[in-house]
Amino acid sequence: MRSPTPGRARRALHPAAWWAWSAGLATAAIETTNPVLLALIAAVVVYVVATRRSTAPWSRSLVVFLRLGLVVIAIRVVIEVLFGDRLPGHVMFSLPRASLPSWAAGVSIGGPVTVESVLETFNAGLRLAVVLLAFGAANSLANPYRLLRCLPAVLYEAGVAVTVALTYAPELVTTIGQVREARRLRGRPNRGLAGLRGMAVPVLEGALDRSLELASSMDSRGYGRRGAATSARRRATFLTGAGAVLVLVGVYVVLNASTPWGLGAATLLAGACSLAGGAVLSGRRAQRTRYRPEPWRRPEWLVAASGAAVVAVFSIAGALGVGGLQVSFPPLSTPPIPILVCLGILIGLVPSLVTPTGAPRPSDPSMEAVRPRDVAAVEPT
Amino acid sequence: MSRVRRVGVAVRLTTRASVLLAVASLLGLAAFCWPLLVHAQSGVNAAHSADAPWIFVALLPLLLAIVLGEIAEGSLDAKAVALLGILAACGAALRVPSPGIDGFEPMWFLLILSGRVLGRGFGFVLGALTLFASALVTGGVGPWLPFQMLGAAWMGFGAACLPRASGKPEIALLAAYAMVASLLYGALLNLWFWPFGAGTTTSFSYVSGGGLLGNLHRFVFYDLTTSLGFDIPRAVTNAVLIVALGRPVLGALRRASRRAVFEPIVELDDDATSQSLDDRTPASPAP
Amino acid sequence: MIRFDGVSFTYSGADAPTLRNVDLEITEGELCLVVGTTGSGKSTFLRAMNGLVPNSTGGKLAGDVLVAGRSTRTHASRDLADVIGLVGQDPSASFVTDVVEDELAYTMENLGVAPQAMRRRVEDTLDLLGLHELRGRSLRSLSGGQQQRVAIGAVLTAAPRALVLDEPTSALDPAAAEEVLSSLSRLVHDVGLTVVIAEHRLERVLPFADRVVLVSGDGVPLRIGAPHEVMADSPVAPPLVELARLAGWHPVPLSVRDARRVAAPLRARLATVTRVERERPVSGPDAAPVAVLARASYSYGDVHALHDVGLSFNRGEIMALMGRNGSGKSTLLSLLAGARRPSAGSVRVGGESPASLSPRRLVKAVGLVPQDAQLLLYCETVAEECRTSDKESGLTEGVTRRVLDGILPGMPPDRHPRDLSEGQRLALALAVVLAHEPPLLLLDEPTRGLDYPSKARLEGVLAGLAAEGTSVVVATHDVELVARVADRAVLLADGEVVADGAARDVICHSPVFAPQVAKVLAPDPWLTVDEVRRALAGTDQLVEQS
Repeated sequence: MRSPTPGRARRALHPAAWWAWSAGLATAAIETTNPVLLALIAAVVVYVVATRRSTAPWSRSLVVFLRLGLVVIAIRVVIEVLFGDRLPGHVMFSLPRASLPSWAAGVSIGGPVTVESVLETFNAGLRLAVVLLAFGAANSLANPYRLLRCLPAVLYEAGVAVTVALTYAPELVTTIGQVREARRLRGRPNRGLAGLRGMAVPVLEGALDRSLELASSMDSRGYGRRGAATSARRRATFLTGAGAVLVLVGVYVVLNASTPWGLGAATLLAGACSLAGGAVLSGRRAQRTRYRPEPWRRPEWLVAASGAAVVAVFSIAGALGVGGLQVSFPPLSTPPIPILVCLGILIGLVPSLVTPTGAPRPSDPSMEAVRPRDVAAVEPT
Repeated sequence: MSRVRRVGVAVRLTTRASVLLAVASLLGLAAFCWPLLVHAQSGVNAAHSADAPWIFVALLPLLLAIVLGEIAEGSLDAKAVALLGILAACGAALRVPSPGIDGFEPMWFLLILSGRVLGRGFGFVLGALTLFASALVTGGVGPWLPFQMLGAAWMGFGAACLPRASGKPEIALLAAYAMVASLLYGALLNLWFWPFGAGTTTSFSYVSGGGLLGNLHRFVFYDLTTSLGFDIPRAVTNAVLIVALGRPVLGALRRASRRAVFEPIVELDDDATSQSLDDRTPASPAP
Repeated sequence: MIRFDGVSFTYSGADAPTLRNVDLEITEGELCLVVGTTGSGKSTFLRAMNGLVPNSTGGKLAGDVLVAGRSTRTHASRDLADVIGLVGQDPSASFVTDVVEDELAYTMENLGVAPQAMRRRVEDTLDLLGLHELRGRSLRSLSGGQQQRVAIGAVLTAAPRALVLDEPTSALDPAAAEEVLSSLSRLVHDVGLTVVIAEHRLERVLPFADRVVLVSGDGVPLRIGAPHEVMADSPVAPPLVELARLAGWHPVPLSVRDARRVAAPLRARLATVTRVERERPVSGPDAAPVAVLARASYSYGDVHALHDVGLSFNRGEIMALMGRNGSGKSTLLSLLAGARRPSAGSVRVGGESPASLSPRRLVKAVGLVPQDAQLLLYCETVAEECRTSDKESGLTEGVTRRVLDGILPGMPPDRHPRDLSEGQRLALALAVVLAHEPPLLLLDEPTRGLDYPSKARLEGVLAGLAAEGTSVVVATHDVELVARVADRAVLLADGEVVADGAARDVICHSPVFAPQVAKVLAPDPWLTVDEVRRALAGTDQLVEQS
């Protein structure tokens, strides 16, 4: 693991930068079906995570997503082997055909299994697995608690609710233990449905009472203060309404055959931008400020830009018609390796080189909130 | 100066919020059902038709954020937020024993009962936030999350739309709803995964332009073979939990709803302000 | 600063007003103590200052409450957050975030304070309340006193001019309560804040108070005045004040120091009188102890909660278990109740290890009332709780209800247990535990949040139980309770027994654990006002039991 340059402290990257980077790599993976390119993207992802992850509990997510990706590939291949459309090709082996009743017409089981179909399916599954891997990387590297603090203003209330949920969840576990112990003291069974009822109800009622106390405390501390409604609200309404209409139209166009795809995509994009604009404007109404917002400096720009650059490379390559982006397997041959595109993928390695410096924020809840030592240190006496 | 009387609701849906909710639901339905609806494409369009799921993966979070933001802006006061947070924590804690995307998921019974007691808007937001909180807790934010959030939100909303009942009929109604809704949820999520799991080249896959009924036929087979083994235990577990714990949990939620006094009615009596300051009860001067 | 003009308030659906015609003014920079029994309307009175009543609870308000010139009729509590702040009893229930620094900043974020000003105010508050070493810590890892100070700080960062506290020290041990109260005192004297504080344990706050408000409830008007005036005939009074009334001291002294200055004649009079001990049948030396701990130790992880503890618990004896938080009191009780097994040594209750008893036999051997009595209760009404207690434990019907009526008659049968007052809930929990008539009763901090009448009732119950032969163990910080009821006191520190002897010997001369009467009449060994009263009454039978 890379150690920081002596004399320069290391802080964690803004979580949105990680998500931008991984979204870029995921989009790049969607745009290609060349297994070599896909494997290269996966390697880049794994390398960056290996060099930059922390010891927080969520940093193990990558492994979970990796396993999930393998499962998806397996499902895809098995379904293809059992139910695939039988196209001509080099036959690997043959499964016995099964005859299905008439209401199951259209579904065929068994028949010859060709190498091409298996490879094609494996490829498609690989693409999905690499996208999942990119998501796993974002999960491992971005701190979820800090992500909640970075939510846009329009989602503030929802963010507070989720923060309350994350803060309360460990206490819930403690309360369940306390209730179980108290029930044992009362000679009550802790098993079966009677035990469940006896435990669920006190825990739930305790939680609900506590939420009311929390609510009055939040009220007393000024939650929900709102500035006066301005003309920005009317603009926000207009933008949101227009965006909704555009998005509906765009979806219809995309699903429909007769209209060109580009038009649909453009409408969707316009609609999405309009919606986002409406959201930003309506978020301006509240007069809240942020204490010590997460810094977004050069390292964050570099990381986000690297993700965008990889997408740009693929888009340009697609527009220029560079060979090797799309590979399909009826011609059974080794896939071509477009060198320039490979180099473009390597731009995604930037995050492992860019080390953000600055004082690590002392109140980083990632470490504190989940250290078992702290929980054990709270004596029950 | 007295304010307008109305029955207190935890989260009141304004007209704007309702419209946005309808739009988001329509788009969500399209996002789930597009394999059934897609028309035959040719040429360039065919190459891009496989991108449709990814478009929805990018679009749906934006829509959900807008809807949640709109609902929250008008009517999420401190009581609603605190209750949402705590119930989302309970739901997320219930989900922990069952791992991954599929599983027993006993959290649905709490969501359904909360939606029933606390109303439509609350049920919608609670469904979305519970899934989000549980994803954050388990470190599993994946491309399926916005779809799960929308499905859970629909489930909470639907629970509040059930007809009035009380006593045993209410429990039976809720248990039946739990079974149906859980199966529908499982089917919807499976519908989302269908293009990924079966692609376009098997006899199970969707066919562009194959018509709604034809694709539905294929999908039912796909569903039967792949996920019904998860869906049925989930539906049964939640229905059983509602039957066993429904009455006390509903009682606890109703008590909390009463004590919270959502949208309190404040009567300000004007007669007494005419009392002059000189009539105050004499108190010793402060030291 | 805070003015009530003819304020009457009725909750929606209530038949009688909770506040009736309240007229008073709390001036700037004073520390005002609010006293009253549970259910007298103290909380409503405090919340009316902050705007939560009526804007958050609903109801009918007549009159006007003005805070720094703003009326609660037109301002919701969120609009008053920059002039007045409210701190409740349970700090952990009011935390929104998980880190100390973020919690302090939360209020300012809501109010839209500029980021630079926020940084400065957070630093100032950390220094003012002595929290700077805790700035990055998780809130769950803090002790009770630290959490309460963070809760106060979180309200203070908004720079309000008044602070309202609803029983802030009820859940804290004496040392933590001292920290919180001295912080508050510094706020009043150095910063010039107006502080309104409601408390049950008056002995902690009375020396600091500038004025006292007595809330009596039941339609009796509120009374506000100088402490010595109000305390002279208040129905709610700490032992010091009761002693002053008994001895006829005027004006009523409010602190131990003031009392000692006038106590000389009383001490002289008491020197000539023999002390009358309360009657208590003590089991003979041959009677087998009800429970025995022999070299018991318990540790989890790196923490040694108990180390080599040896104690025996006799019939008919009330033992007080004292020590600061973290000294092992709760662990000892949980060992006796069979919730944990000792890592070394043995625990025997009635000759058997409690951890190996089945739940049915366990309840007949030992009963434990935990700190939060609500954990034991799970039904929806009091009557149902009694019925379920009878049914599930195989008792005949009505046994629990009878025990409950013996402890506290007149409990409404259809009330939800969570709607009961602290004293009522404790009574219900006690009834549920005592219905099995266990020979050993354990209580973990029973007087938390109890007012004086409820405490007196609890003392009566415990004395009655001891008279019948039950062995009672009370883990508590409340030295007044120990002085009035305990026969024996055990001091724990760092998991070891530091002192074990007769209650009088252990607590009388300790500067930390001595009750107020002992501190006033030191070095004479008097513990309670009742003892002094009995001695002065001069009974004919001078019974002295050793």
